[in-house]
Amino acid sequence: MYTILHAIIGYLFLLLIVRVLSRRPGAQMTPFEFVIIFLIGGVIILATMGNDRSETNSVCAVIAIGMMHRLVSSLKARFPVFGRIVDGTPLVVLKDGEWQTEIMENMRLQDMDVMAAARAKGVKSLAGMKYAILERNGAISVIKKQQ
Amino acid sequence: MASPAPTKPVEDSIAKVNDEVAVGSDLEFQRKWWRFTRVVWIVLTGIVIADLLGCFGRGPLANARARTSDGTMNVKYERIERFSTPSILRIQFGPTAIHDGKIQLWVSETVINSLGNQRVIPQPLTSTVGQNGVLYTFAVTTIPAEVAFSLEPSAPGIYHLQLRVPASEELKRTIYVMP
Repeated sequence: MYTILHAIIGYLFLLLIVRVLSRRPGAQMTPFEFVIIFLIGGVIILATMGNDRSETNSVCAVIAIGMMHRLVSSLKARFPVFGRIVDGTPLVVLKDGEWQTEIMENMRLQDMDVMAAARAKGVKSLAGMKYAILERNGAISVIKKQQ
Repeated sequence: MASPAPTKPVEDSIAKVNDEVAVGSDLEFQRKWWRFTRVVWIVLTGIVIADLLGCFGRGPLANARARTSDGTMNVKYERIERFSTPSILRIQFGPTAIHDGKIQLWVSETVINSLGNQRVIPQPLTSTVGQNGVLYTFAVTTIPAEVAFSLEPSAPGIYHLQLRVPASEELKRTIYVMP
């Protein structure tokens, strides 16, 4: 019983923590983000499994986490507000060649993060971008200026 | 013949930026979320500080001492324990507890069941079950004599610890076991 409860609490707590950590861990995996992902995952698994390392316990924990994931996915699809809470909304960080400083500061984004995404799109400088959008999955989409 | 898969016409329902890029941004919601995260971080900081102080066990506020007024027992315990986490309950006995080179100690059954007694050090000469607890008899080789119980709580909850040396004052304490 405790495994199921721990798995559900662990899932919800991890979802909250990853969500309030802002969106950076989702896509741009620098060593800084790797530390967070591995350490939090390792700590949660200890509490979920406890001293019981049986197959029954691990199967029950996996099923409970799978069910939580399916429930959250269903709620996201059914209630758009819930989807915004879990995944957030896309945010325009650069519009018409101007940084949206409120978003940049609150999302703890640096111009270098945006430039990394721009280079992947073949944009050579910030001046070549019209829009940069921080997506819900943490990736940054870049739309080039028309030549 | 298989029925056709259901379809729905495309609607341009995603909010656009400058009327040209469909992004679906919701800055008002995001501002509320940022306010919410600030509150969450304050709460999380409070939790970490409370944990450092021992409010959830394993810290200065969790460690406690108790003694009977007649000096028979001096007990060191953790008033806040954690589920399935080992801890030690130490009982030091005064000279009035020793009779014929032996000490008798009655412990409530919560120590055995809920608080999950794993081991008693030193090994008792006898242990008798009864009166909602267990009566142990220990041989005394050194003074002050000390007995330690290795605990590992089996379930979260609030439990009452009761200890008694026969014909002496009973010591009652409450122990909180965190999940």
